[in-house]
Amino acid sequence: MNTDTTKIMSEYIPRRSFLKKTAMAAAGAFAVPYILPSGRLFAASGNRIANHVVFCLFAGGIRNIESVRKEKGNLMPGILNGGASVDPSIAAGMDALPAVPGSSLQSQGTLFQEFRYAAGPTGHFNGHSTAITGSYTLQDLSIKEPPKMPTVFEYYRKHSDPVFSPANAWWVANTLGPYPSLNYSTYPGYGALYGANYIQPSTLFTEDGLSALANPRVFSSAEGEKITKLKQLFNNSFNLNTADNAGSIRNYASESDQIQAFLKQQLLNAQAGQYNNPWGAGSSMNGDMYNVFFAEKIIEEFKPELLVVNMQGVDVCHSNFTEYCNNLRKADFAVAHLWQTIQNTPGMANDTILIVAPEHGRNLEPNTIIDPYGQAAIDHTSDATSREIFCLVVGPPGKVVQGQNITQVTGESIDIVPTIAHVLGFRDSIPQGLLEGRILNESFI
Amino acid sequence: MNMQVYKSNTVRRLFLPVLLLLLIGACKKETEYIYEVDPVTSRKEDINKGILKSTVEFISIAYSDLFGETIPQNSLGRLTLLYLAFGDKFLIEDMLIKNMLNSPVVSLPDNQTMRSDIPLFVKNAYLKLFNREPNELESFTLQKYITEDSQITPELVYYSMMTSDEYRYY
Repeated sequence: MNTDTTKIMSEYIPRRSFLKKTAMAAAGAFAVPYILPSGRLFAASGNRIANHVVFCLFAGGIRNIESVRKEKGNLMPGILNGGASVDPSIAAGMDALPAVPGSSLQSQGTLFQEFRYAAGPTGHFNGHSTAITGSYTLQDLSIKEPPKMPTVFEYYRKHSDPVFSPANAWWVANTLGPYPSLNYSTYPGYGALYGANYIQPSTLFTEDGLSALANPRVFSSAEGEKITKLKQLFNNSFNLNTADNAGSIRNYASESDQIQAFLKQQLLNAQAGQYNNPWGAGSSMNGDMYNVFFAEKIIEEFKPELLVVNMQGVDVCHSNFTEYCNNLRKADFAVAHLWQTIQNTPGMANDTILIVAPEHGRNLEPNTIIDPYGQAAIDHTSDATSREIFCLVVGPPGKVVQGQNITQVTGESIDIVPTIAHVLGFRDSIPQGLLEGRILNESFI
Repeated sequence: MNMQVYKSNTVRRLFLPVLLLLLIGACKKETEYIYEVDPVTSRKEDINKGILKSTVEFISIAYSDLFGETIPQNSLGRLTLLYLAFGDKFLIEDMLIKNMLNSPVVSLPDNQTMRSDIPLFVKNAYLKLFNREPNELESFTLQKYITEDSQITPELVYYSMMTSDEYRYY
């Protein structure tokens, strides 16, 4: 058992009684503000650019043609400068949305207008895997298995000192399917011990979730002490397989209670109807927007140092181009709202870098499906256009170059993980050869 | 008396005693062989379990252990999706079990039954939840805990066992 494992596993066996924990929660949060929630014992060192990174996988397959080149008008007014109205050929198919909050994100950061998903199949899981691991997947991926190369979550947790708890790293996915397995990899020396907290809100915060999770037996402090003692008896007798962390990430005992309380509260809030129209978007609120909404709840509660959230509603473009444009507008609104939330969250405001990038694009030529507005649908089958994407790095003035628009072909998908590592100060700790991409230094002052 | 007559008389004289000796030696009680199957314990005797329960296995077994019946298929499907929707399986299992324990139809031994025969309760709890008998130290320690603390209930014991590391394996 290596040192890291010892440090982490020691947290799984509660050493403090529930009574002591209650007292510490009352007094400790003030006395030792850097133990919870960030997991740090000391203030961040000077080699970080910021203490938080939020990476929004603006995914589902988005063409630069409709996004940064605005051929159908500015469908992304929250992200992109410019007031070009939506093209009349699709305008009737657009749902009403509230006004986008704040100024455009482009004006608050650096836009790589011609970024590339340079290698590997243009499939959603391949693209997600590349963005999260910083490695292209040149072979077919098994969607039932974790990626072979370490994820950004593992790099962050393993190569930070001290090792951070999972409550500091979150992966908020819009759907189940293969995406839970992007939590951690099978790379030797990494794995579940360093994975992120994965959550799929639209499955969890439902009637089924309410009935299965929201009415737990609540144990008193006295009962909690007895449980701790009993579990020590049972766990001390058992040789837990620490090699794979028993097939799961594991939150520290102190934070598990907080997360359980958070999950329960979200379920009860949803039951009470508080989440029926949280952004005032009415029936325009789609799955992508809800996924970002719950990512905001996690940000407000845990202020994680690393959070990755995705959206994929635009993939409707396989059969409906106009709806693709509609969902692109909604995804844009969601990102703008996300940035507003970050900037309004104490502990995250002015100390967060937001990175936004699609996982890949779509083909130049359409397929044969025509939507009700006469627009042809588009697939993504690895042609040159499907490799054209953008990347936006947003952050506070003084840290990120503001209003910079790089129009030449610059940067690629595998550069995002090194950039995140650079921002959070652990790039130099990652062993040579694991990351082939570079830091997007053009973004930073 | 010539030799032939002598030999013939000797044989005759010895024949009956020898015959009697042989008959006595040959008379033994017939051994009755009973053929049957020896009882074999099918549970693991040691605590080195290496196979992690799958999602479906964990939920199904936990449900059966607490409600005494097989989980309905549609319930299993719904709970499986919830289980998959969160990455910390220890945490989601904890929440599921706490929720099951709070059900009005959960089936646990009552406190009086437990305290009327603590050694039997301990043995049965290990057999039910860990699929093995406790070793001497485990049995002694758990019995001691229960005996010395009247506030330890079957519910606390079951919860602690079902959220322990061993319960996740078989």
